[in-house]
Amino acid sequence: MSNENMTTPDPNTESGSRVESQTSPRPGSEVVDSDELNRPKTSETVVSSRDLDVFYGDTQALQGIDIEIPKKQVTAMIGPSGCGKSTFLRCINRMNDLIDSCRIEGELKFEAKNVYDSDVDPVALRRRIGMVFQSPNPFPKTIYENVAYGLKIQGKTENMDQKVEDALKSAALWDEVKDRLDESGLDLSGGQQQRLCIARAIAVDPEVILMDEPASALDPVATSQVEDLISDLAEEYTVVIVTHNMQQAARISDKTAVFLTGGELVEFDDTQKVFENPESQRVEDYITGKFG
Amino acid sequence: MATGHDGPTGDWFGNSEQISRLPGKVFAATCLAATLFGIVMVAGLLVYVTKDAIRPLTANPGWFLVFFLTLVVPSTALLAYFGRRRDGEATVALTALGIPFFGLLLGSGVLMLFIDVIGIFEWLAFVAATIVAVGVILGHRRVRGRTSFLEELLVGVVALVGLGPVTYQFISTFPTLPQAWLIYLFTFGLGGAAIAGLLVARRRNDRRAGLTAFTALFVTVTAGVFIDPSTGITPPVWVILFTFAAIPTALYAEGVVRRRQGSLPVGLFFPFVVVAGMLVGAVLVDLLGFAGPQAWLDIQFLTSANSRFPEEAGIYPALIGSILMMVVVAISSFPIGVGAALYLEEYAPSSGPLSVVVKFIEINIANLAGVPSVVYGLLGLALFVNWLDFASGIVVVGGMTVGLLILPIIIISAQEAIRAVPGSLRQASYGMGATRWQTIRRVVLPEALPGILTGSILAFGRAIGETAPLLMIGAAASVFRAPNGFFDIFSAMPRQIYTWVGQPSQEFQYGVMAAGVVTLVTVMISMNAAAILIRNKYERRS
Repeated sequence: MSNENMTTPDPNTESGSRVESQTSPRPGSEVVDSDELNRPKTSETVVSSRDLDVFYGDTQALQGIDIEIPKKQVTAMIGPSGCGKSTFLRCINRMNDLIDSCRIEGELKFEAKNVYDSDVDPVALRRRIGMVFQSPNPFPKTIYENVAYGLKIQGKTENMDQKVEDALKSAALWDEVKDRLDESGLDLSGGQQQRLCIARAIAVDPEVILMDEPASALDPVATSQVEDLISDLAEEYTVVIVTHNMQQAARISDKTAVFLTGGELVEFDDTQKVFENPESQRVEDYITGKFG
Repeated sequence: MATGHDGPTGDWFGNSEQISRLPGKVFAATCLAATLFGIVMVAGLLVYVTKDAIRPLTANPGWFLVFFLTLVVPSTALLAYFGRRRDGEATVALTALGIPFFGLLLGSGVLMLFIDVIGIFEWLAFVAATIVAVGVILGHRRVRGRTSFLEELLVGVVALVGLGPVTYQFISTFPTLPQAWLIYLFTFGLGGAAIAGLLVARRRNDRRAGLTAFTALFVTVTAGVFIDPSTGITPPVWVILFTFAAIPTALYAEGVVRRRQGSLPVGLFFPFVVVAGMLVGAVLVDLLGFAGPQAWLDIQFLTSANSRFPEEAGIYPALIGSILMMVVVAISSFPIGVGAALYLEEYAPSSGPLSVVVKFIEINIANLAGVPSVVYGLLGLALFVNWLDFASGIVVVGGMTVGLLILPIIIISAQEAIRAVPGSLRQASYGMGATRWQTIRRVVLPEALPGILTGSILAFGRAIGETAPLLMIGAAASVFRAPNGFFDIFSAMPRQIYTWVGQPSQEFQYGVMAAGVVTLVTVMISMNAAAILIRNKYERRS
């Protein structure tokens, strides 16, 4: 909880203006451009939830979440620790099924189908919704095998070399590893490992990529590389990213959802609007650092 | 002493012993003493038994002097020199000595199996069936494109089980069968050389190097077949020992030379120094007429059957019996144990009504690991002999009983190894849309395998020394010929040792028994060493 307070120290005006200055020159202007061109605001919804409640045992982690995540845009989820933003992310591809005590009520639709219907196979769902985790977790296999993993388990073994190369190129890692595809993925640096995990996720060409604080274990240089990559990925994929870092959300996202303690979704709107002119006082307090 | 009257202004850096380290120091010292006591007692016992087995005092002092000068002094000096260089040359030297040594041990075991148990034509049929099965799998893969692992497993099993007997029938109808030495050469020699060639080709990324290695090894093994059999090196002895000892050694040497690139790996000459020392010593002792120790543990002991006369008694049938029993133990306990561990760790639910059953099972596995072995012997007797109607005292019954005994240990150690696989890897795999089975086969098992193998081999080490279950299932007190199959009566080394201890004569009670114990412990330590090697080789950075 104190994490946000530390990243945005108390002078409100300063942090506010930093957010503004971060958003407007680079991705902010891009957002405005693309809003008019190829990323229209009325873009179709790919993931939506209505009245979604999540419980861990007797504890309620999320309360009545309503959200509509637009296609081929970056949606950021911010909020203090324990507010349920990661839980929501893991609901989308049903990773919470792996936790025995987790219970989900309400509706969460992916492409007009409630993913919690009894005829939905979570494995099939996860093949269309990729995931990147908080700390880089490449398999203890070669770089090539890491990227080819999803292709192999899904039986998409034609043109594997080409697909691996494409995925590594999309993840901006190809130039660094093209001569050492046979080395272990664990021999890479932290930032490279995370980009390898992103390459692994996009190799199977999913529709949505979920990212659970993908840069929180990385140093600033690696973080900015991953952030650039995320902006590029939004050309082709829908990206949903959970982050602790508000500047990061402001820099890379088109839409921002603010979760606050108690598992409520307090505000969900265009990123610029959320950061510059939030409707809720609680959100303003959170963003300006009055409350963590 | 610190009465505290000088208050907070006293010496804060605390070297006036205000902070007592005494309990910790006493605890550490007690632990160290207890550990040392245990180790020294066991080591002392082993030294004592070894002394009885070797009887060093019966040798001429000149004998020791000769070998000290030709063997001990040069090799120790060389090792000390390598140790001082601190460039890992000592490790190279010891590995270069250890690989052929263990290769010879393993090769001798395989050789014994081929001399006493496995018929050469059965072996030929088995190899042929395996080749056909592999061919069927490859063909199936080509026809069907991508196939599931289960499907391939099914095809493989059908090919092997269905084709094995057919191939045997087919082969036995041949008018002329190839001679035994040809079969040995083309199964062991060719196979070993081919594997070595492939490894070299992959390591060097150079096909021609692999081909050269293959040709050189195969030509050597073929040439060796024509050594005069009267020297004792018959074709099977040569081919099998070459495959198990020389080929791994050559591969190791190749690896060292490749890594050194230029600088001479002098460590590789260490085994030559040792062997030369032995040979020169043997010749000198013979010339000078120094008598060696009249050891109970000698070649005669290892190669002959038990006898009424201590000088002629040997452990050979029991040694074969133990090896065959261990084969049964491994086949019966390892797959079931690993499977059970995988179920308990990966599939078993942690909530709901079934989880109570699972917890109950887990607690009872831990309890079963502590059940006395004599009770397991009773279980084996009731289950396999009385209920399933096997003959008592045969290899299969002994092996399965001891297999049951170590099953809980294998399950527990495999569970530990599986639990040690980081959860983040499982998450990554599930997040990619892998099924549970795919996650287990492609991520969990490869990562846990070194740990599973280490734990299992240690359990096998315990199994080979078990005596009580063998008494209960009626393993023979001593047999005079080696079992010729898995359904033959047998005796095992610990059972044989137990028999010798009960003999009235002192020679049996002290001498022959001691030789048996040293043999048993040597086999067991070799297995543990293998476990440690596997663990070290596959240990990963986290």
